[in-house]
Amino acid sequence: MSFYADFCIPFIVGATVMFAVIAIKYVTWLRRLPKSDLMLIAKGIATPRTLGAVWEVVRESLLHRRIFRVNPLLGYMHMSLAFGWFLLIVVGWIETVAYLGLRWVPLQGHVFFKYFMPMNGITGHKPLFDLVMDLLLLFVLSGVALAWFKRFRSRSLGMKRTTKHVLFDRVALSALWFIFPARLVAESITSALYGGGSFLTGGIGAGLAAAVPPEALAMAYEPAWWFYSCALGVFFVAMPFSRYMHIFTEIPLIFLRYYGLRPEDKEKSYDNFELQACSRCGICIDPCQLQSQLGINDVQSVYFLRDRRYAMLQQKIANNCLMCGRCEQVCPVGINLNTLRLNSRATMRNIPNERRYNYLGGLDRSQGEGRVGYFAGCMTLLTPKTLTAMQRIFDAAREPVWWADKEGGVCCGRPLKLSGEVDSAQKMIDYNKELFRRHGITTLVTSCPICLRVFREEYNLEGIEVLHHSEYILRLMRQGRLSVKYSAATFTYHDPCELGRGSGIYDQPRAVIEAVGQLLEPAHTREDALCCGSSVANTAINDAQQLTIARGVAQELDETGAETVVTSCPLCKKAIMRGATHRVADLSEIVAENLGR
Amino acid sequence: MKHVIVIGGGIAGMQCAAELARGGVRVTILEKQSDTGGKLRNWHKLFPSLTPAEEVLGGLNHALKRSSEIEVRTGCEAAGVTPQRVTLATGEELECDAVVVATGFTLFDARIKEEYGYGIYDNVITSADLEQMFNSGTVSMAGGGVPRRIAFLHCVGSRDEKVCQRHCSKVCCVTGVKQAMEMKELFPSADIFNFYMDIRMFGPGYEEMYREAQQRCNIHFVRGRISEVSPMIDGRLQIKAEDTLTGRPLKIGVDMLVLLIGMRANDMNTVLEERCGLKRQPSGFMQPRDQFLHNTESNVPGIFYAGAVTAPKSVGESLNEGTAAARGVLDYLAAGEGSNKLTVAG
Repeated sequence: MSFYADFCIPFIVGATVMFAVIAIKYVTWLRRLPKSDLMLIAKGIATPRTLGAVWEVVRESLLHRRIFRVNPLLGYMHMSLAFGWFLLIVVGWIETVAYLGLRWVPLQGHVFFKYFMPMNGITGHKPLFDLVMDLLLLFVLSGVALAWFKRFRSRSLGMKRTTKHVLFDRVALSALWFIFPARLVAESITSALYGGGSFLTGGIGAGLAAAVPPEALAMAYEPAWWFYSCALGVFFVAMPFSRYMHIFTEIPLIFLRYYGLRPEDKEKSYDNFELQACSRCGICIDPCQLQSQLGINDVQSVYFLRDRRYAMLQQKIANNCLMCGRCEQVCPVGINLNTLRLNSRATMRNIPNERRYNYLGGLDRSQGEGRVGYFAGCMTLLTPKTLTAMQRIFDAAREPVWWADKEGGVCCGRPLKLSGEVDSAQKMIDYNKELFRRHGITTLVTSCPICLRVFREEYNLEGIEVLHHSEYILRLMRQGRLSVKYSAATFTYHDPCELGRGSGIYDQPRAVIEAVGQLLEPAHTREDALCCGSSVANTAINDAQQLTIARGVAQELDETGAETVVTSCPLCKKAIMRGATHRVADLSEIVAENLGR
Repeated sequence: MKHVIVIGGGIAGMQCAAELARGGVRVTILEKQSDTGGKLRNWHKLFPSLTPAEEVLGGLNHALKRSSEIEVRTGCEAAGVTPQRVTLATGEELECDAVVVATGFTLFDARIKEEYGYGIYDNVITSADLEQMFNSGTVSMAGGGVPRRIAFLHCVGSRDEKVCQRHCSKVCCVTGVKQAMEMKELFPSADIFNFYMDIRMFGPGYEEMYREAQQRCNIHFVRGRISEVSPMIDGRLQIKAEDTLTGRPLKIGVDMLVLLIGMRANDMNTVLEERCGLKRQPSGFMQPRDQFLHNTESNVPGIFYAGAVTAPKSVGESLNEGTAAARGVLDYLAAGEGSNKLTVAG
């Protein structure tokens, strides 16, 4: 048997183009990887990490476990399409082997098996396969039906807003929607003429045979298979250029991630895997406060990745992001959205001004002496209540402190970094690192989560423990060096993005608050907490827009009925104060006010 | 006899009520505080003539008392307004034939600009606090000492996008000049600095006063905003600023810092907009029907504005608006009477 018919041409062409383009992409991306990344792959490939990656591919690329967490129906939709199609291919292959034994069958022979092997010509008909294949087709079709339904009622699948798609995506999407209904029709007609099929294709086939004259069915037979093949062909050609590139890209991405590859401050070839692994599912749109509070709907991660992938990214899109990480938290592919946006910004505006930082030479305005250093940061210097509160806390714990920047110091570097000026930021990082080393501190405390994050992630301060003041205060309390009075006061807590999602610190500030009074949680809290809107990462929105976001957050905090809104970031405090009707205080203030003894 | 309700017993409301009574109308003033006079009650002397605020208030109070047709209800807050009816916060409803909204402004809360340390450091005060000190006759540092170096900071809560107050409060510049001169009078050996963005001397005699402050009183004017204030070891305040004329950052220690706080729109203006259909400007102040021929009328016929409820204004301007609004109300009532007569005759 030759396994060839003219109607296969669209399929064969499509599949060839698809595999060729994907192969070219992968080879190019891998070849351009920096040496250090290639080393990581070489080291990781023969380790259990590979098995871990395989298991994650099953969980995420096939079963879509993370989407189930967003919404079960949405998860089912993605799973039925991915896992269902995968099983159709696998079971289809087993079916061929079962009928023909282990022998070479060209790809179209597997895909169009029912055409090449109508059941009337076969000895030893295996109806079990018909049943399984029909069940699987039904499984996939239910996903397609849900996808259609989602077009009109996305809310029932847990999404208020869905992605606005580009032309490639629309073509591929339309083709995809036709593939499985076309297969159903083609196989049903085949079954009507030649028998075979189970409850689905067989059932419809029997119905067709009863209702339609055989000549008409015979006339529709070839065109039905042509249509199925065309739908597949069009989808395959559009696929590598559309969002469906994610189907295959996510698989190598998972492996590379298991070997330790990550995006960095500057763009590199690995980013391509992350960019093209985005399925544009649009789950990142709803959590974005720029969308929900300000109605800005062309800057979200899905659009940022799309624009960057098609090389049409504009600075105004790249800059318009709070980098709060709410989208990263829900992304089912786990793409490092913030880092990718950051290195896009770096590509667009990393132009270090060499003369601008001459003042760094020889500068040292630090005071005091101690093993514990305190770095206030620019924003704490602008919110002196926090600074005075920290002073009282240090005094109460009898901790000698080296004050790094009370009289003014050099910025931690993160704001510049967030705006893309990574090389300038590095100058500040180097300066501060040298300063910390020179004064021989072993612990560095900061009350600013923005500073905290860059200290922990970029400074490499071996031998110096970096602590946020919430962690430090809690430690003092647990060591019995600081005692506080408990009262009937009520507090609510706002999780700063850089502290919570950024540094994973949720429990320490809560423990401190619960030592002085009652803590009431707002509607969005911990990993799901809202952003105050004044993030230094966003250089595009204006003050009025920041205020709109702050008011939304303040209102939610007010609704808890707490007397005081507590946060542990000077920037969040200033932002929320602008929109709040209640008192807003830093964590250190409520501790300093309630010192015992 | 026609009845007009004036909401707000500050200077604009008082002037308007007196004029209306003179025009043969019965007037009720609703005042939130325990007495009429508004913010002027806490002020000491007025620029540029240094006229005591008491003098102006005395004149206005006298005019109110002289008329038997003016009723003043203190401790009384309006919650809803239509041309025919004012609803009080207590739920009580008052019938009327026209309403004048003269609710003025709110002083900017300097604590919002935490970097200036108001409410944190003892010797950071506001221009309003200083006037009260002048009134009580005890101008000194928190511990009772004599200040040797005093700084004034202009535009606190004005022209500041960060606190969403983009407008100019208009009168703080000249208030800063006036208060600096008064401080120089009290403490002749003190160094006095005014930190400003622009000095806007728009009124008669203001520019002359500014010149006198520099030439006769030797007050230093530094163009640049203060960025932050921190305590020094000796208890004084350290100010960081930029002298934008020389382009250099500067740091000085002072004994006292006076924040010239601006005027912001009342929170109640949102209520007027949402419940009473009155238009507000983006600044939050109420919007007059137009800026020229109907600048004391609202967009609702029968509701009028007087004074700083529509924008920051000086004392003189607010008093003028009180008169102008009264004229508008009297014309409105007369026109209404005319149409009523026609209806009766028809």
